Amino acid sequence: MIFRLLAAMALAGPLLLLAAPADAQWGAEGSASKAGFAFPKDGPVRILVFRPDVKVGEQSTGGMNEPNADWTADARRHIAAALDAAQVARANEIKPMPEMEGADGALLADYRALFRAVTNAVVQHKLFAGNRLPTKKVDFNWTLGAGVRRLGEIGGGDYGLFLHTNDSYGSAGRKAAQVVGLLFGAYIPSGVHIGYAGLVDLKTGELVWINADVAMGGDVREAAGATKRVAQLLEDFPGREGAVATKAVGK
Amino acid sequence: MRRAMLPIAAAALAIQSGAALAGWKIMPKAQPVAVAKSAMTVTPASDWNRWSERPSKRGETWTLDGVALNELSFFGGIAQGEAIYRERNKKDEPLPKFSRTMLAPDIVQAVEGSHRILLRTSLFAVDTIEPATLGGHAGVRFTYRYTVQDEEVRRKGEARAAVVGGKLYLITFAAPEIHYFDAGMAAALAIMDSAVIPAGTSVEVTR
Amino acid sequence: MTRTGWLLALGLLSSNPIAAQTTKGDAVTAPSVADYQPQGADERGLWMDVAEAERELKTSNFIVHDPMLKAYVGAVLCRTVGSERCGAARVYLVRTPYFNANMAPNGMMQVWTGLLLRTRNEAQLAAVLGHEFAHFEKRHTLKSFRNIRAKTDAMAWLSFLPYGVGALAQIGIIGGVFANSREMEREADLASIGYLAAAGYAPAQAASIWGQLREEQDATAAERKRGSKKDKNGGFFATHPNSADRVAYLTTEASAAKDASGVTGDAEYRAALAPWWAVLIDDQIKLNDFGATEFLLARLASGSEWTSELLYARGELYRARARPGDLDKAAGFYRESIARGTTLPEARRGLGLALLRGGASDEGRSALVEYLKMKPDAGDRAMIAMLAGGV
Repeated sequence: MIFRLLAAMALAGPLLLLAAPADAQWGAEGSASKAGFAFPKDGPVRILVFRPDVKVGEQSTGGMNEPNADWTADARRHIAAALDAAQVARANEIKPMPEMEGADGALLADYRALFRAVTNAVVQHKLFAGNRLPTKKVDFNWTLGAGVRRLGEIGGGDYGLFLHTNDSYGSAGRKAAQVVGLLFGAYIPSGVHIGYAGLVDLKTGELVWINADVAMGGDVREAAGATKRVAQLLEDFPGREGAVATKAVGK
Repeated sequence: MRRAMLPIAAAALAIQSGAALAGWKIMPKAQPVAVAKSAMTVTPASDWNRWSERPSKRGETWTLDGVALNELSFFGGIAQGEAIYRERNKKDEPLPKFSRTMLAPDIVQAVEGSHRILLRTSLFAVDTIEPATLGGHAGVRFTYRYTVQDEEVRRKGEARAAVVGGKLYLITFAAPEIHYFDAGMAAALAIMDSAVIPAGTSVEVTR
Repeated sequence: MTRTGWLLALGLLSSNPIAAQTTKGDAVTAPSVADYQPQGADERGLWMDVAEAERELKTSNFIVHDPMLKAYVGAVLCRTVGSERCGAARVYLVRTPYFNANMAPNGMMQVWTGLLLRTRNEAQLAAVLGHEFAHFEKRHTLKSFRNIRAKTDAMAWLSFLPYGVGALAQIGIIGGVFANSREMEREADLASIGYLAAAGYAPAQAASIWGQLREEQDATAAERKRGSKKDKNGGFFATHPNSADRVAYLTTEASAAKDASGVTGDAEYRAALAPWWAVLIDDQIKLNDFGATEFLLARLASGSEWTSELLYARGELYRARARPGDLDKAAGFYRESIARGTTLPEARRGLGLALLRGGASDEGRSALVEYLKMKPDAGDRAMIAMLAGGV
């Protein structure tokens, strides 16, 4: 009983994202967005942040993740600050989705679960090569359905931002094993640094932007690293209408 | 307890091995196509994606946006004593087997039992069972809902089945209750309505 | 948004404070003491992980919210381990038909409904709850975590297994990693005997549970004509070693316990489970394990008698399997159930379907007509009406 619980905790976190990419895709990143989407030129852009999944641990020599409460707490704090700054820099208002109980709490849980399923589908079938759906090659259209606007009403926001980062830093033992392994021709990846972020238009339910990366940079245990990580997570984040686009969308 | 448990077709498939998930073929609209390696043909009214991996020897799965978001599965020519889905563990978790003497409610129960065992869930409820036709033969239509532990996406399902020539033919459509089931229903129903199962040479079993 | 607002929002300032200080604390202090704080990086990390898991569990569709059943299980826990300690536990009942209970290092306890179908009385439930609580008190999860880490570290050096992120799932399967757990199981078992005796429960009931599980596994195997798995560990269903040794030492310890007599609480247990019984047995029947279900039903019937509900369940079981002879037997069970006064419309449905499938059309149809009269709004009304001959 205990051991299944441990195994469960080791695997906690949504993750076809963990399972899907083959070795060849380590280092892969992808992002996509709804064609032509941009925030309105003027006026407030209110973004609700759904409680981010943030996990930071250390990867033992044997590849097991040891959750580290201090690192995770630091990471949460730094990521929150970096997210704040990043959105303020874009002149967007950002605030957390409130915790809820009862029927509203159940609704939120339902949408979080659906978001995970939609994100997994996008990651599998759009962002990374090898598993793309023929009918979805051209357009980018995934949705949570219009019912999600209820969450926007509750939280007072027009868009919903979901964020996930999972880091397991290779310990010294792990890194050493990696070197030895390479000598024998065995591939032992050291460290896990996976992240994704998605933006939902809460009025229509459409997923307007998503970015996923299975080899993220930036050490989230420190402020500067978290800033870098957030910048990577928000790569190609939509801008305001008429603003100069710095990167191509819908790649 | 793993997160992101896959819907049933994918679960049946994932059991096999870490088989590659890749392999999709477009099923173009208005083209009749034989499904599930059987005599049953359907004609989609819009383009769908067919998975190269199968939920069973005599099954196949289509989707629009991804199997977790809409799953349309076909099963054809399931014979006496065979399971509908690929078994996770024949010895320790055997699935219900089709029998020619099954009444419509027994077929529904076999589908329910298969879901409960393969997906390891006890949240599965059958809502309605009524007479219907499939492929031009008298059969059954049933609706249900279920949830998979840890994934926690509440799903709805609708299916049609008929026994022709002593063999079971089945089409199921399942999708999340939020948005996706309603959004995909019309297209799925159209496909079910378009099904044709030629009568076998043995006595047709109409129940 | 202020910094404080963010910290609150992201759960940093939550009601489960994970102290960032490095006070050593008393190494012997048990987590069941009020206001206990996890000690050391490992333990804090585990608590944090589990706190997140608990957040998710709270909103799971599989949580049983019945306040009376929850209160009952909670009360049994408190009687078993003492009311000053049981407050450290938060009990979650989970709707899943397998035998399991576990307790996380932060006090989150899960009890699966499959377990509630297999413990026959309050003392047996108390034995399991006490056993899990003992794991928690002795911080076995933490010890296992360290053990597994040490072992997997060793393995990585010895053989270059293809570790990728997915390899984490293999930890449970790698042979020998859990060898040390037998010591912990034994410790928890011995502690549970102590709890039972102190609480006035019959300590011999602890051994009974495992004996029953072994018999159940024999029954499963016999029907499937396979070797019994009762002496095999590992695999999805064997969540605890249920070896013959274990039954033996539990029996010995029980008779040696100071208060070797004590209550079993049969009646109280049945009363508490009564509203849930039909649902649980339905979940069990649908597992398609004829031998185990037949065994469990017979167990539930022994000591009292075959109630109309048990007979209905037996009818469902035989009708589902439908091997030669089963349909006739099923019809017999349904008839007997009806004769003993069951008000379940489904008993008539089952009888009708069994007869119809077995070829007794007229009798089958009239039973189905009965069902429709009793349950005019049945979801399967249209199909049953057709089978009944178009009423």
